[in-house]
Amino acid sequence: METSPLIGFRSLVEREIVRFTSVFLQTIFPPLISSLLYLSIFGYTIGARIPTIHGIPYLHFLIPGLVMMYVIEAAYQNTSSSLFISRWAGHIQEILVSPLSYLEMVLAILIGGLVRSLVIAAGVYLVSLSFTVTPITHPVIVLVMALFVSLIFSSVGVIVALAAEQFEHLTVCTTFVITPLIFFGGVFHSTTMLPEVLQKATAMNPVFYMVNGIRYGMLGVSDVPIGRCLLVVFCLFFVLFSFTVFLFKSGFKLRK
Amino acid sequence: MNTSVAIQINGLTKYYGRFCALNQVSFDVREGDFFGFLGPNGAGKTTTISAVTGLANFQKGEVRIFGFDVVKDYRKARALIGLVPQEFNFDPFLTVEQILIYEAGYFGVPKREAKKRADELLGEFQLSAFRRFDFRKLSGGLKRRLLIARALMHRPRILILDEPTAGLDLELRYRLWDFFRRVNQEGVTVFLTTHYIEEAEKLCQRIGVIHEGNMIEVDDKEELIRRRSQNMIEIKLDRNLNDVPTELSEMGVRLGSGGSSVWVREEEKSLSKLLRAIHAHGIEVLGVHVKKTTLEDVFFKLTHNGNEPTHRF
Repeated sequence: METSPLIGFRSLVEREIVRFTSVFLQTIFPPLISSLLYLSIFGYTIGARIPTIHGIPYLHFLIPGLVMMYVIEAAYQNTSSSLFISRWAGHIQEILVSPLSYLEMVLAILIGGLVRSLVIAAGVYLVSLSFTVTPITHPVIVLVMALFVSLIFSSVGVIVALAAEQFEHLTVCTTFVITPLIFFGGVFHSTTMLPEVLQKATAMNPVFYMVNGIRYGMLGVSDVPIGRCLLVVFCLFFVLFSFTVFLFKSGFKLRK
Repeated sequence: MNTSVAIQINGLTKYYGRFCALNQVSFDVREGDFFGFLGPNGAGKTTTISAVTGLANFQKGEVRIFGFDVVKDYRKARALIGLVPQEFNFDPFLTVEQILIYEAGYFGVPKREAKKRADELLGEFQLSAFRRFDFRKLSGGLKRRLLIARALMHRPRILILDEPTAGLDLELRYRLWDFFRRVNQEGVTVFLTTHYIEEAEKLCQRIGVIHEGNMIEVDDKEELIRRRSQNMIEIKLDRNLNDVPTELSEMGVRLGSGGSSVWVREEEKSLSKLLRAIHAHGIEVLGVHVKKTTLEDVFFKLTHNGNEPTHRF
């Protein structure tokens, strides 16, 4: 019987998808429910009293930010929990003793995060349609931003899952790093609303470029040029992806 | 490339911090061998297995699987190995059947073929009724069988068994022994670590003994026992002795536990001379029993600096 290396890769991708779909009440539904709440309270109720931003109604302005927020959260949560649980329960050994290459192992795990975050991004957009129809001005930019941001935070999830010694460490990163970066990254506001000092601080936040990148893709407006958003995203992806593959090759916290 | 050698280990050295877990370990496992890898707890057995299967990095040395270096050609090397680990390490998100099918998938087996093999192995290990179960609902014995089935899904040329019968009842242990023998007769090289020396004695053709990270013996089982053979004779007496009379003691006779028997090495003195000496002390002999040297005796001597452990005899 002929075996194919691609089958191994596909199996691991499938397993990653089976993992999060088998617990869809924990992985898919919560972001859809909370996005519905955000849109109801902030977008629809409070947003009606907020003047337009870059000439865009607040509800429209909010939707791309929310989509990006859930892409980031879903990608990080998927890979960090999947890998940490497999280290903790020991079934990471199934992968480590297999003939999969280290690049295939990393790519398959990241694709799991990518699929979950794209499913949630599509779900959040569908939920938003019950409030308003947001145009998608540059679909390719939207897709590129969602894809690369998802891969970036999937890589972050892998790195944190390798470094973590307890489950608690995964949530520490969410609480103290990712959530503040998202909230100060312009999901709910434009940097033009901030004092100059905070505008400069925001420019150091990578999530700011991600949110503005997808907002440009959907609405055609952004606080920064789209070229700069793409550059930041591509550079971050390259660095984090390379580092993740390096960690797998070196066996950091994977091999004794 | 020497294809008649299944596992080739040269100068394998592994440190955990400053602790040397493996010190220049070298040995070969020939293709088709049933190889027993023995050692006390913490001797380096599982570390060696981890280095062979890609679960541990090592600082020095070389490990080859059918000629493929486990570091440089890790994909080809790993494709040839099936590992049955000591601990249950199943994916909690998958059912029993999925565990087998995905495992085969990671090794490049197409799904249709994987399903066929899963059916066969589930039947072989009497797990068919549990195929849709979460593995956590299985008993210890069923989990152990699932571990073995999983390792065989990609039909490896080398099966590594790390304490495969630990905690199992005798009946299941004997059934697994028969299964391992059959797998070995079908051409699979079997590498077994176990704390049940009887298991290694019954199953293995060749034995390696590791102690404190050093490989201290590798040989054919029969040869290993023959070289270190020291059969003992137990003589049952009609009374309990507190001490062995001096004349008998000088003949190498030692008191057995309880004082109702004495022991002597087979080669010490001729048996008739010894029996006459016992009679001369007015002691009747009720029976004589020769205890052949077993692998367990050899193992204890090797791992206790040539001495028998104090609790024995």
